[in-house]
Amino acid sequence: MTSNAGLLVRDLEAGYDGSIVLKGLTFSVAVGSVLAFVGPNGHGKTTILRSISGLVGVASGSIRLAGEDLSVLRPDQVVERGVVHIPQGDMIFPSMTVSDNLLVGAHPKRAYRSRAESLGEVFDLLPRLQERRGQIASTLSGGERRMLAIGRGLMARGTFLLIDEPSLGLAPIVIEQIYSILRRLKADGRTIILVEETPSRVVDLADQVHLIDDGRIVWTGNGLDVATSSDFLASYLGG
Amino acid sequence: MSDALLQVLISGLTLGAMYAVGAIGLSITWGSLNVLNMAHGAMLSVGAYLAFSLATTLGVSTWVALLGAITLGGCIGALIYVLIVRALLNQPAFEVNVVIATIGVAFILENTVLQIYGGYPLKQPVDIDGGFKIGSIFIPLRSVLLMAVGIFIMLAVAAFLERTRTGRAVRAISQNKDAALLMGVRVGRVFALVLGISGALSAASGIMLSMITTLSPGMGYDPMLKALIICVLSGLGNLRGALIVAIAIGILEAFVQFTLGVRFALPVLLLVVIVGLIWKPTGIFGRRDAVRL
Repeated sequence: MTSNAGLLVRDLEAGYDGSIVLKGLTFSVAVGSVLAFVGPNGHGKTTILRSISGLVGVASGSIRLAGEDLSVLRPDQVVERGVVHIPQGDMIFPSMTVSDNLLVGAHPKRAYRSRAESLGEVFDLLPRLQERRGQIASTLSGGERRMLAIGRGLMARGTFLLIDEPSLGLAPIVIEQIYSILRRLKADGRTIILVEETPSRVVDLADQVHLIDDGRIVWTGNGLDVATSSDFLASYLGG
Repeated sequence: MSDALLQVLISGLTLGAMYAVGAIGLSITWGSLNVLNMAHGAMLSVGAYLAFSLATTLGVSTWVALLGAITLGGCIGALIYVLIVRALLNQPAFEVNVVIATIGVAFILENTVLQIYGGYPLKQPVDIDGGFKIGSIFIPLRSVLLMAVGIFIMLAVAAFLERTRTGRAVRAISQNKDAALLMGVRVGRVFALVLGISGALSAASGIMLSMITTLSPGMGYDPMLKALIICVLSGLGNLRGALIVAIAIGILEAFVQFTLGVRFALPVLLLVVIVGLIWKPTGIFGRRDAVRL
């Protein structure tokens, strides 16, 4: 386990309506690094992020950030600690404008006080959103909606970003745009926990990669190992 | 303009203002938060009776009775959240369960009022007298007040929803509750606040309506029906649209009563609703969101 870990997860068990999806996960993510969870659909990757952000109740284990257990906090308290979950798919507010979507991202009081500054930073990173600021969110393209979800997450001024399947359903050229945004966020010093179904996409971004299978970590390596290790391929294909 | 037409117009505007005022509480909870509060009519009635009791039993002044009843109405709204809505919030079929549960609340509130005050109509002592004349038509001051307050509250609530941090959170919850949670919105607190505001505004509406009509346990039925029609016909969540539709319905009703007779007013109104919804299923001012795939 990394010694300068920002987030420490130990023996995490969590699930839905009495059925356990995560079966004793232990991992950590160092401040300023990118940790990626890869693996096939339906094996618990999204549940990891939902447990950290408080959307899913934790059955046992702990999620510690700077010594504090996040597993006993409400989702709004987790956001106040600087941990922001950017959910899978298009969980934007479809009937609101791009600007209003972003401003909801700045809902925590501390973030709301800095909303003008945050808007400027988000528009610098994602200039397309500035062009579309008055547009109703449901009329954006798939890539723009994903950029909006990322921008909205950044408005909370979080230092830990939990990003779920940022490439889901997008064209290759748009996926490359989204990943170049994630590389910029990493370069800015943000800590990222990334969930991705396609392992090759995290090769040059992730400092550490965990392969998840049936709620357990079955392989650990770095981004480069994903591309080169036959061990990874065997684990991924169930070998 | 002939006196008769002027009278119809003024009656229509007063009716429209009554409907707009009666629809405010429902517009906020249903239009903005998808909570169809079927106790809305009963809450109008309870607010009016609370003002009555404060003025007659405690003998306080008009304004104290008004403020007291509005505050207590807000508490009843918040209490509905604490006792009922909170337990349903994370259950499946939340919207349907709330409708059924609040029908129960309506029965409890109405029968409590009936038990305490009896079924006979009473005169609301909290009142505003006086008026002025336009030509030969006398216009009561309370009708003008009703219209002014109705318009002011509708526009103020619309501004609250569009421009404030909490207002945006209300809209966000109605569109995607989980995403709102992830943005740090305390969903329960927002629900309690909106139901509290709705309760307070319903009490204010009930008092104003009882100044024009009378106090009776079932006085909220007609405003509740009209509020449902206004919300659906204007398009859910559009408060400015609701104001325009309320005034239009009031004028239409007064005109039909004058030309065809009182008994035709409701059928004609319902016919307009049917035609209106066939023409625009999302409501006259509603917007069907285009979704790019």
